[in-house]
Amino acid sequence: MDRSRFLRTTGALLPFSLLGKKTLLASNNIMQESCSLQAPSGIPPYLKNGDCIGITSPSGHIQYKELLPAIRQIKSWGLTFKTGHTIGLKDGTFGGTDLQRATDFQQMIDDPSVKAILCARGGYGAVRIIDRIDFSGLVKNPKWIIGFSDATVFHCHIARNYNIATLHSKMCNSFPDNWDKATEQQRATINSIRDALLNTGKMQYQSIANPMNRAGRTEGALIGGNMRTIENLSGTRSALSAAGKILFLEETHEYLYNMDRMLWNLSRTGELKHLKGLIIGAMIRTPQRDPNDELNKSIYELVMEKVKEYAYPVTFDFPVGHIVENYALKCGVRHQLDVTTVGTTLSES
Amino acid sequence: MTIPPALKKNDWIAMVGPSGYIDLNRTTDCVQMLKNWGYRVSVDPHTVGSDTGNYFAGSDDQRAASLQAALDNRDIKAIICARGGYGMSRIIDRLDFKEFRKHPKWVVGYSDITLLHLHLQSKVKTASLHAPMAAAFMKEEDTSYLIYLHQALKGNLANYRFAPQAANIKGSATGELVGGNLCLLAHSIGSVSVPNMQGKLLFIEDVGEYFYTIDRYLWQLKRAGWLDKISGLLVGDFSSTKDTTRPFGKTMEELVKDVVPESLPVAFNIPVGHQSANVTFKCGVQHHLNITKGGVTLKEVR
Repeated sequence: MDRSRFLRTTGALLPFSLLGKKTLLASNNIMQESCSLQAPSGIPPYLKNGDCIGITSPSGHIQYKELLPAIRQIKSWGLTFKTGHTIGLKDGTFGGTDLQRATDFQQMIDDPSVKAILCARGGYGAVRIIDRIDFSGLVKNPKWIIGFSDATVFHCHIARNYNIATLHSKMCNSFPDNWDKATEQQRATINSIRDALLNTGKMQYQSIANPMNRAGRTEGALIGGNMRTIENLSGTRSALSAAGKILFLEETHEYLYNMDRMLWNLSRTGELKHLKGLIIGAMIRTPQRDPNDELNKSIYELVMEKVKEYAYPVTFDFPVGHIVENYALKCGVRHQLDVTTVGTTLSES
Repeated sequence: MTIPPALKKNDWIAMVGPSGYIDLNRTTDCVQMLKNWGYRVSVDPHTVGSDTGNYFAGSDDQRAASLQAALDNRDIKAIICARGGYGMSRIIDRLDFKEFRKHPKWVVGYSDITLLHLHLQSKVKTASLHAPMAAAFMKEEDTSYLIYLHQALKGNLANYRFAPQAANIKGSATGELVGGNLCLLAHSIGSVSVPNMQGKLLFIEDVGEYFYTIDRYLWQLKRAGWLDKISGLLVGDFSSTKDTTRPFGKTMEELVKDVVPESLPVAFNIPVGHQSANVTFKCGVQHHLNITKGGVTLKEVR
């Protein structure tokens, strides 16, 4: 988990020259060019001082008091907030019944005063309500939808059907209780949400080199999230649409053989074939009780064997996933990925 | 759909390990029983009991080669997989069914082998047997239901009667059986291994999963259109189901009823799976399902 050291800077420190970017663009194929033409219309307006973030719970149950650390930060960013009726609701593990969660999310989409929708927490449940939600309001008035883990359902569904950018980031339950005592990394990851939403500069991320990385330079829109959730979407109208994009994956609390099976699903559904690049975040495995039952391969080998026939860059230990170092990533927004023997840089184009 | 020929006395059955490792002494009772039934048994030395020192029954190359050899060998009239576990996903796309199509034979197994059953049904259009594997034959196990595998191999038509369940949804339907392990069914979605689900009788089972994981799989089947296309659902054994710290708050019956169309006939507690009796289902073969107040019948139609 702590293998990757991570630095994040704003646009002022971007190492890439504009010339380099143009060269990259010129070498892109037609499909990607057409994506880049569409992309600007699919990026929701960035937030301004006084704008309101709506907090809802489309998945697991959460209590209002658990939102307080996030609310304090949202206010400190000069933004306001509004909580939906699912906060505090409980139906089994869910934050309310399917109908309640769908209705709350719908209201957040349709409420013109809400400029971004923050999923309070993950868990499980988004897939039960996604088909009940009418996204026509989002298409008319795009706004940022924020979250990760189970919220991968929204990232994939919205990318596939509406080509609107979303924000893959920590949620309310990951904000530090005491900001003053938070570690530098905790603060940096939370501040990355602010920087992404307020567009304070181009996002940039770095991770140290892993010998298993495959070097290369590429550009494309980001897409991805939790691998289990992505497998759960395959064959449905929310399925991953990764062709021509840079795919990032993370997983937690799974046996290694389950991760391998999920990677095979990606491979066998053709999703790995036309990537521009592959970013592997934290892959936190549950060890087998009997060590003899453990797969005799590392996650690095399991990934590389699925992509060995392709040439795109691959980078491991990227700071995304169920770890402290889980930085905000703009899905649907073009980024440059540069994987070298020294390290990996991902920068917003 | 091709239905492999019935086995005759002295026919050869091959035992191979396409997935997880199995100790040789866990296979001896199975070999003995198959011999008692009058068959000859060839145990693949490379993938059954071969000490690999790791999770798998052999390397990917070895497992694929052993299964391929058994599929291709004309003298082999049936293949019984020694064990499930995990590994079929890693070799399925390496298999070549050219010889197998010319000389079809029964493939026997369940759990991880579900993926092979689906593949045989969708790509090779050949029926196969969702049935117990080697460990189920061990003397300390309840082996009474192995008779259904024997009957299937002999070519007897299936004719099951299951006890009524309060949660059952009445109705009747005729279609090909398809199914197996719910995790593997969900895993296959989006790949070439998925048969056309229109009109099928789907059966599902799983072991040791969290309720929310089972729910996730069921929603995937629903969202992929399976549950609207099938004509009947048989819910097998979901034993050792795990719950979360905050209880999921729904029973298995409720999870199923949340996702199926109202008119779909559904039978619960079907003895197929990891920890209950595990009767033999002929995947790809037409059956008539009838669910009434008095019970459930599942009858092979040819």
